[in-house]
Amino acid sequence: MDFLQVVGLRRSIRIYRSWEKVEREKIQRILEVVRHTTCPGNIQPWRAVVVERDKLSRQDREALLAMDNHQAAHVQAPVWIYWFADVDGSGAETFRKRVHELVDIGALPTFYGWTHEAIDAAILKGEAAPEGMAAVQTLIHNLPREMAALVARQETVGACAIATLAAVNEGLGTCLHMAATADKVPKLRSILKVPEGWDPIWVQLVGYPAEEMEAGGQRPRLPFETTYFDGTYGKPFPRDPKVVEDLKKEGLIREQMPKPGRFEELKHLARAFGFPL
Amino acid sequence: MNEIKSYATVQKWIANVNGYYNLSDEEWEPRFKTLEDFCRVVDQDPDAIIAEALGDRAEKIDYIRRLRAFAKEQTANPQIAHDLENVVRSFFIHNGARVVTRPYTES
Repeated sequence: MDFLQVVGLRRSIRIYRSWEKVEREKIQRILEVVRHTTCPGNIQPWRAVVVERDKLSRQDREALLAMDNHQAAHVQAPVWIYWFADVDGSGAETFRKRVHELVDIGALPTFYGWTHEAIDAAILKGEAAPEGMAAVQTLIHNLPREMAALVARQETVGACAIATLAAVNEGLGTCLHMAATADKVPKLRSILKVPEGWDPIWVQLVGYPAEEMEAGGQRPRLPFETTYFDGTYGKPFPRDPKVVEDLKKEGLIREQMPKPGRFEELKHLARAFGFPL
Repeated sequence: MNEIKSYATVQKWIANVNGYYNLSDEEWEPRFKTLEDFCRVVDQDPDAIIAEALGDRAEKIDYIRRLRAFAKEQTANPQIAHDLENVVRSFFIHNGARVVTRPYTES
């Protein structure tokens, strides 16, 4: 699917064809896409456990659903991808190794000052990086665990955003839900058998939508003019109507919800699945 | 009990549901009948049910328990019973009483 159409069609899908299995290769394709997501220092802190709802024991299924307050969309979606941030795998040493690798393969040019020596001096000794390369000593030297956790979490959140687009690209519906409330995190780790150092970020619901892919239309967006600025805050970035028209034609900007018939659709879906109106 | 539509909670229910789904009179009539029947069984009017359910979680849970029993007494068909329950659950939801909703069971 065209990139702009994928972004334009992405919705948080909340009503799934609960009975329809998702092909394993489609799940793999989502995971493969996320593997290529951008990330500082190429540390790739995201981890995922793919759970097929119908393969769970009743006890584990109910426990996992309870962690998300039995949200109806979670009950319906046949595949749950639990995304975790590997906090212990995101420390200074990981960063150092991966940045060395980036230098060795030519991703970080030495002519900007990136060398093993400069990286080690900055990360291990806290010495100032030469101008031209990132001031990694300010973030990575003596990196406390809570900062590593912050980095791991924020990068995993970014990866999850890509994961949603990858799902749409496969013609699937998807939605990010809370994996577990704080008090249930140990139980979640225990059921999925993940290490202590993995922090749950989101559970990505995946399935074929029972609602149409547009799910009633695009959600309201904040005004462009109060979101983006030109040079300094207060001067809105000019929005060219021609560009907007082009993006409409290319499928990024679509009809806003509620599209005509949305509540009729919900009414029929409620009736079909047995939810009260 | 007075005419069912005269109660404030019923009026609020109608207004909320119609705000989204604009149900026809034909769709409303069986809903009113179900709510009326439930009120009769629990021997309370709609406003009193909501007042109790909002005021005391245990009361609300008790109403839901009685709702399940009520629905089962009306029919042996589990799907129709589920639909009857949903009518009263909808009445609770649109009056601010938090209740669990579930789809049809697959069995």
